[in-house]
Amino acid sequence: MILGIGMDNTFLVGMIALGLMLVLIVLGVRVVFAAAVVGFLGLVEFRGWGPGGGIAGIVPHSKSSVYALSVLPMFIFIGFVAFHAGMTQTLFDAARKWLGWMPGGLAVATVFATAGFAAVSGASTATSAVFSRVAIPEMLRNGYSKQMSAGVVASAGTLATLIPPSAILVIYAIIVETSVGDLLLAGFLPGIVSAMVYASIIVIWSMARPGAAPSVSGFTWGERIASLPGITPILAVVVIIMSSIYTGWATPTEAGALGAFVILVLALARRTKLSAIRGSLMESAKLTVMIFSLIWGVLIFVRFLGFSGLPGAFTEWIVALPTNPMIILLCILLGYAVLGMFMDAIGMLLLTLPVVYPAVMALNGGSYVSVEDSAFGVSGEMAPIWFGIIAVKMAEICLITPPIGLNCFVVNGVRPDIPITTVFKGVAIFFVADVITIGVLILFPEIVTWLPELDLEAWWNG
Amino acid sequence: MADNAGTLARIDRLAAPIENFANLLAGLAILALMMLGVTQIVMRSVFNSPISGYIDLVELSMASMAFLGAAYCQRLGAHIRMEIFIGRLSGRALWLVEAFATLVAIFIIGMLIYYSWGHFMRSYTMGDTTMDAELPVWPSKLLVPLAFGIWFVRLLLQLAGSIRLLINPDLVPEAVVIMKDVAEQAQDEIHEAMGDEGARP
Repeated sequence: MILGIGMDNTFLVGMIALGLMLVLIVLGVRVVFAAAVVGFLGLVEFRGWGPGGGIAGIVPHSKSSVYALSVLPMFIFIGFVAFHAGMTQTLFDAARKWLGWMPGGLAVATVFATAGFAAVSGASTATSAVFSRVAIPEMLRNGYSKQMSAGVVASAGTLATLIPPSAILVIYAIIVETSVGDLLLAGFLPGIVSAMVYASIIVIWSMARPGAAPSVSGFTWGERIASLPGITPILAVVVIIMSSIYTGWATPTEAGALGAFVILVLALARRTKLSAIRGSLMESAKLTVMIFSLIWGVLIFVRFLGFSGLPGAFTEWIVALPTNPMIILLCILLGYAVLGMFMDAIGMLLLTLPVVYPAVMALNGGSYVSVEDSAFGVSGEMAPIWFGIIAVKMAEICLITPPIGLNCFVVNGVRPDIPITTVFKGVAIFFVADVITIGVLILFPEIVTWLPELDLEAWWNG
Repeated sequence: MADNAGTLARIDRLAAPIENFANLLAGLAILALMMLGVTQIVMRSVFNSPISGYIDLVELSMASMAFLGAAYCQRLGAHIRMEIFIGRLSGRALWLVEAFATLVAIFIIGMLIYYSWGHFMRSYTMGDTTMDAELPVWPSKLLVPLAFGIWFVRLLLQLAGSIRLLINPDLVPEAVVIMKDVAEQAQDEIHEAMGDEGARP
């Protein structure tokens, strides 16, 4: 007991805690400490020092030693080694030969090459960094504007978070306790749809401005076919990860391990220095501990939230609102867009989901609702997956919006000759594309749910 | 405070190798987990004899990845936070808020060391084992207070560093995280993704 309210008014304690956490985070306390300290004090208030502190003391170990989470370090490691495996140039080269003839062909090629690289890397920012080196010089040489070249590279990097292996999708699955495998599968098609929307916007934009983004043609079919063997390692990793989850021949962790192994062997075959591999290990360990800290910190807070009954109260309030559920959903997404301008994507999702997620599920009609009776046209079983993809896509937009859109700063960092304002202007049309994509995913949830619902396992086993 | 100059930096240089080593261990655990996964696939699909207690092994190994790098991550300022407010401060105001934020961290990590130690001791005295392979659980649980202990020392150093600058903001910063603006963070990201090849052309 600290305040002396205890269990008499759990709602009040919950509100005080939420307010305190907000103050701490705005002050600049690291998210793991802010969430853990508020959760800890709250548990002590409810249960006393011994039992309350005891609950908090168990969470870091028990919530980290979960098999499903072991896929995270694998995916993170793949991301850090992927650059050294050196497939970026071959990917871009192949995409250029196959897609260069389109209006804005090199930009379209960049989008699909990035989508391909996303299949071996879950790191959005790293993907933008890598393609700034590969694609921007080629586009500038062919007379593309700096704005267009930089914009497409910064934006296409965000595709990495939807196309498996994606760390942020795994984190979402852990927090809302849904299937990691289903979520990874679900990200695949929306990732492709995002890429298609990007490509369409580029084509339309280029046709409206003839000469601004010229096509490159003159490749023979022989050259095109010859460009394909170079991208087989990527296909191998895609097949390993997607097929394992689908058919169940390996768990996501094992598939991630095999994918990482393939990429590591490729990197070593390219005579990557051991110091670079060691560097990748150090970076992977650092990012892994950062993410795990966030997870247990937020889960201490979530344990407390459960006692407070706050998520339930928030859900009841939201469901009782006379407003159309779709409008409420749009307001929540708008909230994410604004919050994302000031906060890291993973931190934002972890902090908000414990309260927002149950409310959205209830708005849709609960766990057992059918597609027909649901508010958002997605069954109770599939709603967690569908909302996950939308929330993650939303969180990714914050990587390209001012003032702290990190992808844009990364492009500017690799190409100091392109001013940051030019990059932000360049991503504007892709921001529109992202809004269109989210609209499409809300209107046609089937794009998200089709792959996870497709029962390939039964087909595979006859 | 001039005669104090350098003391913190010296302790900082003593602590850093320990933190680096702990983080490297976490990195090696990632490598080991990868090899374990690949071996498991080969053993199961080629030899039809999966590694016994595989899931137990994975779960026990996770504590090393989840905790060992915490202090290293802290030293580099890589645990995320919102910098919209603190990023606008400078001088005494900045170090006051930094000191407060570090105190909050010291409090919670101290508490968690105490209570996770209890969690470890219960497991150690009861001789608690995993479900499948019956491996002892306590070594994995011991990693929490151990790694948090290193983290705690790093936080104490940062608190001392912040208070030193709070008293005299003109001193050369020691044992504190110098906040990076988003352009500098971008440079770090580029370096992480591409190594030395990613350095500015």
